Amino acid sequence: MAKSSTARRFDEPLAVVAEKRPAFGEGGPPTPPVSSNIPIGSNAWLAVLIFIGAEAMFFAGLIGAYIVFRVSSPIWPPPFQPRLPIAATGVNTLILIASAVTMRRALKAVVAGDRKQLVRLLGATAILGGMFLAVQGFEWIRLIDFGLTVSSSVYGGLFYTLIGFHGLHVLGALIWLLIVFSLAKQGRFSKERHVGLQTCNMYWTFVVGLWPLLYGLVYLL
Amino acid sequence: MKPKILFILIAVLGLLAYFPAAASACAVCWAGDGGPADNAFNWSVLFLMAAPYTVVGSIAAGLFLAYRRSAANPAKTKSVEPLVHLTLNPEDGGR
Repeated sequence: MAKSSTARRFDEPLAVVAEKRPAFGEGGPPTPPVSSNIPIGSNAWLAVLIFIGAEAMFFAGLIGAYIVFRVSSPIWPPPFQPRLPIAATGVNTLILIASAVTMRRALKAVVAGDRKQLVRLLGATAILGGMFLAVQGFEWIRLIDFGLTVSSSVYGGLFYTLIGFHGLHVLGALIWLLIVFSLAKQGRFSKERHVGLQTCNMYWTFVVGLWPLLYGLVYLL
Repeated sequence: MKPKILFILIAVLGLLAYFPAAASACAVCWAGDGGPADNAFNWSVLFLMAAPYTVVGSIAAGLFLAYRRSAANPAKTKSVEPLVHLTLNPEDGGR
């Protein structure tokens, strides 16, 4: 090795502690040990939060398009179009809101460490979500029979686009929920570790919270 | 006048020159016939303008609330055992 190398050679005697000199500066107390910062939320939580923000912007675009057609039409709903099932969908709205309540209680159950209650509540949430989709599907079939289709009019196109995308999101949330339900049955969630359930709850709350806005905008106004 | 202030003043004056009222730049405002379509676009634009602020504000609020919650529970956020010492011998301050 080069003569000017600073690496310690094997034949060099070990330096006595008292003879050690600081490499630079005056020396001093040792630097504090490196410690981690515990983040305020998991990476998955942050990722789902930002994903929900992106989904919210997606629906904002669709709602913006709906507003243009709705406000520019002097008569709404347009004449000779089937009327939407306000009452049935109103009940369906209550079913979906109930599913958000059970989902929230499921999260509290996992924090309390009650696995049986968690599984029961997740199951109830899935059933309520499935009921919502089933009723929506049934109503859609009736509307198609009455002549309201995507291509029948702008009204039909807007309705199926806006409500259809929400339905797709509910379906995606339901599939996610069924996976979480299966994991909960296996006992994979605990009081300290339930990020999967927490993020599923966030997304479920988003799709449920979005529905009253869409219901009011499309069905009632 | 300081160059920085002068630059800001010129920039603001330059922006004022590009207002739609002066430049007739907005196709909807200045090409429309004043019918319901203009009103519809106005409302839609206002809604879409508010949407990003609402979304980003909600995310920021969520992060802030999570920070407050973690600060209120210091046991969970206290530093864990140190991961590594920067020196092999903690008492060793030099080389």
